Amino acid sequence: MLVSGYYSWNWLEATHVLTLMISIGSLFIIDFRMLGWVLPDVSATAIADRLHKPMIIGFVIMFITGILLVYAKPVENVQSLWFRIKMILLVMAFINAWVFNSRMKAADGTWDSARVAPKGLRTGAIISLCLWCGVIAMGRFIPYDWVDCPKVSNTALLWASGCVEQLNAL
Amino acid sequence: MSALGSTSSTSYGKTITVAVLLFILLTFSFTDLRYQTWLRLYEFFLWLETTPFGVIGKTWGAVFAVVEAIHLLAMALLGGAVIVGDARLLGWLFIDVPAREILDKAHKVFVVGLTVVLITGIFMACGVAGKIYWLPVFWYKMLALATGIFFVFFIRRPLLRHPLEEIHPRVTKLIAISSMLLWFTVAATGRWIGFAGS
Repeated sequence: MLVSGYYSWNWLEATHVLTLMISIGSLFIIDFRMLGWVLPDVSATAIADRLHKPMIIGFVIMFITGILLVYAKPVENVQSLWFRIKMILLVMAFINAWVFNSRMKAADGTWDSARVAPKGLRTGAIISLCLWCGVIAMGRFIPYDWVDCPKVSNTALLWASGCVEQLNAL
Repeated sequence: MSALGSTSSTSYGKTITVAVLLFILLTFSFTDLRYQTWLRLYEFFLWLETTPFGVIGKTWGAVFAVVEAIHLLAMALLGGAVIVGDARLLGWLFIDVPAREILDKAHKVFVVGLTVVLITGIFMACGVAGKIYWLPVFWYKMLALATGIFFVFFIRRPLLRHPLEEIHPRVTKLIAISSMLLWFTVAATGRWIGFAGS
């Protein structure tokens, strides 16, 4: 029903993509502040605290719409190399976010007004930026059919994409 | 008195300029001129496909996809800047931080995001120029984008250069809500181009 309805699918996908502007937009501002690139005169924890709520709201919407998008086209998504890489990057991004938050709480108050965050947090911010750029890029690649199972002959790619039928036929 | 007279004549000049621009826009929108211009632009769109951007976009799908991803990332950055600036104007976030500081820094981030969005957008448009020319949603997006840029650089920024205490709170809130709605429209119509073209 989600796929067959022109508007249901389009609205779902559009909401998933547009929520980027809230979730990833807020995340970029937080990470850039840690690196001292934006708002260096404003307390870093104030930025992180205030943008936490819109960022989480954005991520929740993205997750709900994301799950529905996968639910609508399960085989196409699960057998997509890009989707699989995206999921790995997503898990890594959440682990990094958890470590980043723990570090930020542990270093509470000691560096708040500094223009640049301590090295550990800066590293976390750079890793976060790279991982989320990767997540978005992989998400954008999913509709492309460069590595669709019937078109692939490389064994490693077939394995990575989970193309069981093609692997068995080899 | 002379200072007052000078300010008054400047405001008068701006009002006349806006009225003239509005008249030109309405004449263009509701006459045959709009259709004639659209017809004449077809050659230009076909030429866009022959430019290096157009050739690369059409030949290498992977390059097009990477540019699309950068376009999305830049939209996210632009969205972050809009949220920070407009949420401060609405009094939702950073109320303990001077508004001027937030607005100025957020605007710099916005300009970076917008620049990347425009460059990558032009690249993508060149690759599929012959197709998007026929899509009404593409023209809606261009209209929304032009309105957004005009709004930011000719209404929002000049207005917010004045001390915020001198501006009526309802005006600042109206500016913030308009800004968020405009940029949401730009992003939404942009996404819809993909659906309409497929």
